[in-house]
Amino acid sequence: MEQNCSYLDVMAAGLNSSDRYEIRCPVHGFIRLNDWEMAIISQSPFQRLRRIRQLAWTDYVYPGGMHTRFEHSLGVMHTATLLYDSIVSNSRGVLESEFAYDETGFKRYRQLVRMAALLHDVGHGPFSHAGEDLLPFNQGKNQPYRHEDYSAAIVRTHFRSAIEDHPACINTPLTADDVAALIEGTAGAKQGIFWRDIISGQMDADRMDYLLRDSHHIGVGYGKFDLHRLVSTVQAIPAASGRPPRLGISEGGWHAAEALVLARYFMFTQVYFHKTRVAYDIHLRGALRAILPGGKFPKPEGEELNEFLKWDDWRVLGRLSEGAGGEHGERLRTRNHFRRIHATNEVCTEEELAGLDRMRAELGTMLVAEESASKSWYKTGMTDIPIFSDARDRPIAPLSRYSSVIANMKSNNQVLLYVRPENVTAAKEAVGRALGTQ
Amino acid sequence: MSTDVNRLAVITWLAESASGLGRTALMKYCYFLQVVCGVPLGYRFSLYSYGPFDSDVLSDLDSAGSLGGVKSSVVYFSGGYGYRIEPGDRPDRVKRMGGTFIDAHQKELQWVVDEFKGWDASGLELASTLVYSDREAVRRGEQLGIGELSSRVRDLKPRFGIPQIQAYAEKLLSRDVLRSIR
Repeated sequence: MEQNCSYLDVMAAGLNSSDRYEIRCPVHGFIRLNDWEMAIISQSPFQRLRRIRQLAWTDYVYPGGMHTRFEHSLGVMHTATLLYDSIVSNSRGVLESEFAYDETGFKRYRQLVRMAALLHDVGHGPFSHAGEDLLPFNQGKNQPYRHEDYSAAIVRTHFRSAIEDHPACINTPLTADDVAALIEGTAGAKQGIFWRDIISGQMDADRMDYLLRDSHHIGVGYGKFDLHRLVSTVQAIPAASGRPPRLGISEGGWHAAEALVLARYFMFTQVYFHKTRVAYDIHLRGALRAILPGGKFPKPEGEELNEFLKWDDWRVLGRLSEGAGGEHGERLRTRNHFRRIHATNEVCTEEELAGLDRMRAELGTMLVAEESASKSWYKTGMTDIPIFSDARDRPIAPLSRYSSVIANMKSNNQVLLYVRPENVTAAKEAVGRALGTQ
Repeated sequence: MSTDVNRLAVITWLAESASGLGRTALMKYCYFLQVVCGVPLGYRFSLYSYGPFDSDVLSDLDSAGSLGGVKSSVVYFSGGYGYRIEPGDRPDRVKRMGGTFIDAHQKELQWVVDEFKGWDASGLELASTLVYSDREAVRRGEQLGIGELSSRVRDLKPRFGIPQIQAYAEKLLSRDVLRSIR
C-alpha cells in the first residue's frame, strides 16, 4: 500500500483530500482510499480476507486462480463508486426528487456505498462459497444463514469502533448498523436501501468485479466486458405508479449490458461450473464437514462469531496437511477427484429429468455426488435489465427486447453426476443401461 | 423429490390460479407463502427498495417455462413495462412433478391468491415490505404500534405517506398477517 497520491491526482480525480492512499490493483489500476477506509482495512477481520481464496480450489483446473477476497473487496468498493458516481451524474434530478438528497446526502450515501461494498464479503468462510452449505440454520428466519448474515454481524461487532469512532464520522455520520443493514438487506437501511442494487443486484459491483478479476487471474477471456461503457450509461430510471426508481441503462449501453450477461454465462459454463472445479467443491465440503466441530460452522452470534472468524484457508490447509478431512481430505491432498459420469443439457428437459431417475437407480451406491447448476452460488439466473431510450416517445423496455441473444437465453439447470474414479467403467455401463444404449 | 421441483409446481399453480399474474406478484406471493404461511419453498429473501426479493424465484420461473409449466411475455404500459405469466403447454405435468406438494399446501396457496388478488404491484411491494419489517421486529423481540411500523416502512419507501402505509398495515392486520403489533 502506498501513500503517494499527489495533490494534483486528488484534484484531478475529484477526490476528497483525505483520499490519499492508493493500492495497485491488477484489474482497475490504482484504487484510492481515505483514512477512514484505511482504518477499516487495517482491522484483523478484514486482513483475514487475504487468507480466503476467491475461487476455492479452482487452481486445480486453472492454476492462476489463487487470488483472494481481499483484492476483490477493494475492487468491489472501487466499482461500486464508479457506479454510484455515474448514477448520480446521470440521474441527479430523479434522486433529488425521490429522496430529497442535497450535497451532504449525496456525499453521505457515497461513503455508505463504499463501506458496504468494502465490507460485503468479510463474512465469508474458508474457500469462499464452496463451504457455504455448511453454515448453520437460522431458526428465526426459517432458512440457512447466508455469508451476508455473517458480514453484517461482523460489521456490527468488530468494525463498529472503526466506523463510528473515526473523526471522519463527525462530518459524514454513519453507523455500523447503517452499513450492516445495506449489506444484509434489512429495514434498518432506510432510504439507503435503494443503493443495495449496486452492492447485490443483477448489475452489481460484486459481479462486475469478480467476472473481470477471475478472468484476469485464471487467464481466460470469457468474463470480459466493457466496464466503463456500462458504468457510463447506468442510471436511476424514474418511478412509475407509486413504485421506487430502479436501476437501468441508457440505450447506448445495451450492447455492454448484453456483454455482461454473456460474460456471466461463459464464466459459469467454462469456469464456475467446470466439471472438475465442481468436484473439488464437493471434496472441500466433505473435508470441512469432517473437520468442523459438529460438521457446521459456528453461528454469527456472540462468542460463536469469534470462533467463526478463526476459520480461514490457512487453518483448513493446516488440518488437511495433518491428514484430517477423511476421504475428501485425501482426495484434495492427492488431486484424485470424483469423476463426472453424466451431464444433462444446460437446459434440462422433463425427459432428461426422468432419465436421471433411471440413472440414479442403475448407479445405486456408485453415485456419490450430484450437483445442480440451479443451486450453484454462481448460477446465471434470469436477467432482464431495463433500457431507457433517449427518444421521449419510446417506452422503457427490457434488454431482451433489444437483444435477441438475451431474449433466447434460458436459466441453466444442468445436473452433473459423480462417481469414484475406480467405479468409472462400471458406472458408464450403468448410465448406458439407463439411457437404453446398452 | 427436491425442493426445486416443488417450487416449479407452485409457480405453475400460481400461473393457473392467479389471473393477471406478473413478476412482482409472483415474487410477493412466494414471499407470503414462505413467510406468512410457512410453506417450505427454501427461498432466501432479502430486502430491496421494491420489497423482499430472491432472484431464485425468477430462475425458477424460467425453468418452469422451459418445462412447459408457464409462459411469460412482456407487456407495455404508459411509462414502463411488465410481464404477464400464464399457464404453458404442460402445466399439469409440471405440477405432477411436485408430487403431493401442491395438495399438501392447497389451503395456503388458495389463501394467498384469494387475499391478494387485485392488488397492484405497488401495493404488493408495500405490503410485503410491511411484513418484512414486521418479521424483523418479531425476531428482535419488539412489539410495535401500527404507527411505529408504518414509520419504519416510510423510511424505506419515502414515496408513500404515513396514512397510506397505515391503511395497508390495517388491511394486513385484518388478515391476521402482522405479528409485531401489540
